[in-house]
Amino acid sequence: MSSKKVRSGLWIDPRTKIVLLLLCVLTAAMAPSLFYEILLVCLVSVFGLSCGKIRYALIGMIVYMIFYFLTLATMQLHGSVQVMLVAFFGLVHKVYPCGFLSGIILTTTKTGEFLSAMNRSHISKKIVVPIAVMLRHMPTIREDWRFIKDAMKMRDVSPSLKNFLKYPGMTIECIYVPLMMAASKTADELTIASVTRGIENPKPRTSFIQVRFGISDLIVFLCFLAMFLAGQFCKGVFL
Amino acid sequence: MIELKDITFSYSSQVNGGLHDINLTIQNGECILLCGGSGCGKTTITRLINGLIPRFYPGNLEGNVLVDHKNVDDFPMYELAEHIGSVFQNPRTQFFNVDSDSEIAFGLENEARPPKELRERVNATIEKLGIQSLRNRSLHELSGGEKQKVAFASVYAMNPNIYLLDEPSSNLDMDAIEDLRKHLQLIKKQGKTILIAEHRLYYLMDIADRIVFFEQGEIKGIYTPEDFQKIPTFKREAMRLRATDLKEVHPEISEVVQPVPLLKLRDVSISYKKKSVLKNINLTAGPGEVIGIAGHNGAGKTTFARALCGLHKHTTGEFLWGGQPQDRKKRLRLSYMVMQDVNYELFADSVKSECSFGIRNPDTALVEAVMEKLGLTPYGDKHPNTLSGGQKQRLAAAVSMICGKELLVFDEPTSGLDYDSMTQVADLVKELAALGKIIFIVTHDYEFVCRTCTRVLHIDHGEPCDIPVSVAEEKTLKKLFSIR
Repeated sequence: MSSKKVRSGLWIDPRTKIVLLLLCVLTAAMAPSLFYEILLVCLVSVFGLSCGKIRYALIGMIVYMIFYFLTLATMQLHGSVQVMLVAFFGLVHKVYPCGFLSGIILTTTKTGEFLSAMNRSHISKKIVVPIAVMLRHMPTIREDWRFIKDAMKMRDVSPSLKNFLKYPGMTIECIYVPLMMAASKTADELTIASVTRGIENPKPRTSFIQVRFGISDLIVFLCFLAMFLAGQFCKGVFL
Repeated sequence: MIELKDITFSYSSQVNGGLHDINLTIQNGECILLCGGSGCGKTTITRLINGLIPRFYPGNLEGNVLVDHKNVDDFPMYELAEHIGSVFQNPRTQFFNVDSDSEIAFGLENEARPPKELRERVNATIEKLGIQSLRNRSLHELSGGEKQKVAFASVYAMNPNIYLLDEPSSNLDMDAIEDLRKHLQLIKKQGKTILIAEHRLYYLMDIADRIVFFEQGEIKGIYTPEDFQKIPTFKREAMRLRATDLKEVHPEISEVVQPVPLLKLRDVSISYKKKSVLKNINLTAGPGEVIGIAGHNGAGKTTFARALCGLHKHTTGEFLWGGQPQDRKKRLRLSYMVMQDVNYELFADSVKSECSFGIRNPDTALVEAVMEKLGLTPYGDKHPNTLSGGQKQRLAAAVSMICGKELLVFDEPTSGLDYDSMTQVADLVKELAALGKIIFIVTHDYEFVCRTCTRVLHIDHGEPCDIPVSVAEEKTLKKLFSIR
């Protein structure tokens, strides 16, 4: 009776995902070397693959590799340009793994699962409901974006990177204005639809899809934990 | 029983839609149709009953709303939700889950029903509503009509005593409306109280017990369906109401002049995500023609429209304009689509700057002439967002003319519009046709087709067929729009 047709790949409890994200933040912040960072991104990418986000995981990995080689290249430079670029790339390397992982988590978590999992952890509805609306809002933004892209093309404003660099002001206006208009309306309508179906009910919410920790949660957690510990205690290996 | 006592209400954030001195009592098991032009206050009534006013839409409220002799204000939203189910207009923003089964269970989960009961209720709902084909599907893949069915099922599963529906048919094709009618009949038989605020009236004539007509926030008449259908057409149109019987709507005879063909499609096939959607489209059209595109929700109408405008990549075959083949880029330069949600294509901060937006050296004289022609001059300095829906469509059309577009596509321009607004869109289309544009209109709206189109292209997987809109073809047209 579970929704096999819809779900593909590994299923991880939303609570585990939050713990993973925290671990990832710590790991990235305290990473001992660049080589270690690349292993961390690999781990996140493998996690993405096993969750069924194949395209996203591969693109994420490739983009990171580009940053990696750019960083190596800046090491060869001298003077203030190098200092600037190293500072910039340093920040990228700290943030990238967490952003990458958040992307996977956001796109693989269903709103219903999230609500039930948070309910089990006794977290206040005041915090959970807005986050749930936000989660649900993500795919809608993608749809909005498709319409806006069409509209821009018909106005001869191409939504490409080249055009963005050429006419930044106009391109931003083209994306920003309709996206905000659509977003505020969508958020209102989503909230209304959820509120009129009793999302604020204080009773402990039950779930159609059973949310439960499984062996896969443990394995994934241990992988990320091992990564973190290795970075802290076996620094020599990664230098 | 629902009682509205001496209700006077005004929104704090908008001018229209307020109510004045409303008294209305609705018995258990009654089905009430609320009708009237846009902004007459019919939606406001539903919001008062499900508690969205004043909790979500603040405003100035006098009077009492009682459900079973209890004041609605005294209950939290989630308690009202157990007795009062609401279905809204936009299928895109009504669901909360990714798959249909969890969505149907959503309300029940909030009520904290045990998992065993959840399954039973979901199964029973799917069975009763006859939507087995929607079981266990990804909601993002469903058409608008199917999403709306899931939204209804999700409310049905909670088994409320009162159903509130706010323009539920706006985005539905004729067959989906027929299914909605059957579902309404089912809940009526179960003795539920039903309130529907709606522009499309014809499908509710044998369901509604009473029809309440609103004008400027006041109840101007309460009719039985029999009396209501006796209202003569001219009077009904003055009331800004849509047809009550589509059988009585006939194509308006226009002199069918065969224009010189300008646009020609030769063996065009379109695929979407590697699946073939439409095959072997052969079509010619000339300046001044208005061609309706009809077909079921999800049959590929919008994909066809996007392909025509050069927005859709995967096409084969030839598009010719004046004998010259047009690739995607050229078509993009030639055509313009007025989207169903026009807000996506309005970018600037005033009507005037919108008209010249994106053009490097705008021709001021042309901008002014077009604005004058489409009646937009008085709104020149207004922000596009403060315009009404119809005015926004006009603005989009103005933009297309200033950019020198010759081929215009309207995507469902009349969904959720009252009689007045519908005729205004029809006038706009006629004006544009008179200027020699070729116009395509994706639509489910039979009344609108009869008023504006010269031909209808029927798209339903595979090869489309072409039907002229004329008295002679009335039978075929009625069949196409499932009017029995």
